[in-house]
Amino acid sequence: MIYFLRGLFWTGVYLALVLTPMIVLLLAPLPPGNGFWGDLSASLGFAGTAMMGVMFVLTARFRRATTPFGIDVIYYFHRQIALVAVGFILAHPAILLAEDPTLWRLFNPRFTPGHLWSGIISFLALLLLTAASLWRKELNIHYDEWRLWHAVLATLSLASAILHIEGVGYYTRSSFNNFLWILITASWIAILLYVRLVKPFSLMKRPYRVKQVIPERGDAWTLVLSPDGHAGLRFLPGQFAWLTLFHSPFALKEHPFSISSSASLSGEIHFTIKELGDFTRRIKEASPGTVAHLDGPYGAFSIDRAPAPGYVFIAGGIGIAPIMSMIRTLADRKDERPLILIYAYKNWERLTFKEELSDLGKKLNLTSIVVLQEPPTDWQGERGMVTEELLRRHIPEEEVSNGWEYLICGPVPMIQGVEKSLHRLGVPLSRIHSELFDLV
Amino acid sequence: MRLLLAKAFAAATGVLILALAILFSLTQNPSP
Repeated sequence: MIYFLRGLFWTGVYLALVLTPMIVLLLAPLPPGNGFWGDLSASLGFAGTAMMGVMFVLTARFRRATTPFGIDVIYYFHRQIALVAVGFILAHPAILLAEDPTLWRLFNPRFTPGHLWSGIISFLALLLLTAASLWRKELNIHYDEWRLWHAVLATLSLASAILHIEGVGYYTRSSFNNFLWILITASWIAILLYVRLVKPFSLMKRPYRVKQVIPERGDAWTLVLSPDGHAGLRFLPGQFAWLTLFHSPFALKEHPFSISSSASLSGEIHFTIKELGDFTRRIKEASPGTVAHLDGPYGAFSIDRAPAPGYVFIAGGIGIAPIMSMIRTLADRKDERPLILIYAYKNWERLTFKEELSDLGKKLNLTSIVVLQEPPTDWQGERGMVTEELLRRHIPEEEVSNGWEYLICGPVPMIQGVEKSLHRLGVPLSRIHSELFDLV
Repeated sequence: MRLLLAKAFAAATGVLILALAILFSLTQNPSP
């Protein structure tokens, strides 16, 4: 309930931030109108720019504000609301040019006023960053390069948009409106300074050292870090952190990974990372003593946020990492509640944590069901995908109605499919929790 | 569920802003 109320509060704060420029336009004394379409275009431009400014707040990882929702869903929302903002910003020039085609003459460089150049730069930077975000993989853009260019283009686009607004200056002639845009600009610069300077500096003061890199089945590696000169992170089992390794926290080269160790373990923290890209392939090269930095913990995906008489965990591939953290924590707490783990993987030999899960089965009231896509010929267990029929076979009806909680982690299509199946089996959506990976 | 809520909230915010933009344009340019 406390998370729900906090969520409502921060949702209200977001709405207030994003709606303020429109409300000020409506309430403040203004010069005469420019015709319905001209003013609709201008107000959509104001709204789109304000929404872009608030994107910097959304993605600044303010822990107090993101905790009620889980930061994965904040990034998902950022992606959705960004498309709405881009729509408004595209509509701004489109409406003006459709209503008065003679304005095209201003695009002749000899007649282009300075404020229009700012608008054009803002518009093009926004189009580039949107295309790169929607089709990063199709365009073969490396994640680190994408992150750097996303930050640069977003900053360029917003700065140019503000110059454009101030340059046109029609509605900002009203002192209240002008004050608002100065305030928006100052807040935005303060957030940039916080994210790019203050936060990396605070991470520098809390370094970690690589203690060990343990090879796991299925091309995965467990990176064991120890805090260097401080107490380390306190986290809920299932949460994640942004890891910077081989670089300074100022380098913008950090990657989110789930913590796989028990929340009861003190003095070290484990991340189990599958080799999927350039950075993850280098994890095994980290020698003991290498400096690392962690920004976290984040995430709402945890048994500790969903008390229940029993849990069903559903993992796909390396989605087992946060679930291992929860199962290990339950084992350390000597928890006796019944647990079901449904673990989908490609094949038996590469199954990450195969042996440890078998050992944990002896310590906990844990039933493990492994679902293999490429089972060996003598495999007697489940095969294929995690379907509704499979879930029905392994989750007794009384557990569906007894208030158990369901935690799913894996590829997005699997999460969406399993959520639908569970819901059809009668599990209320409020009892289904998931952690999204791979948002961009 | 969180994804559905996030998507619905993004859509609702967009509709609300568009409605305010239309309201602003109408109040700023009353029909004669």
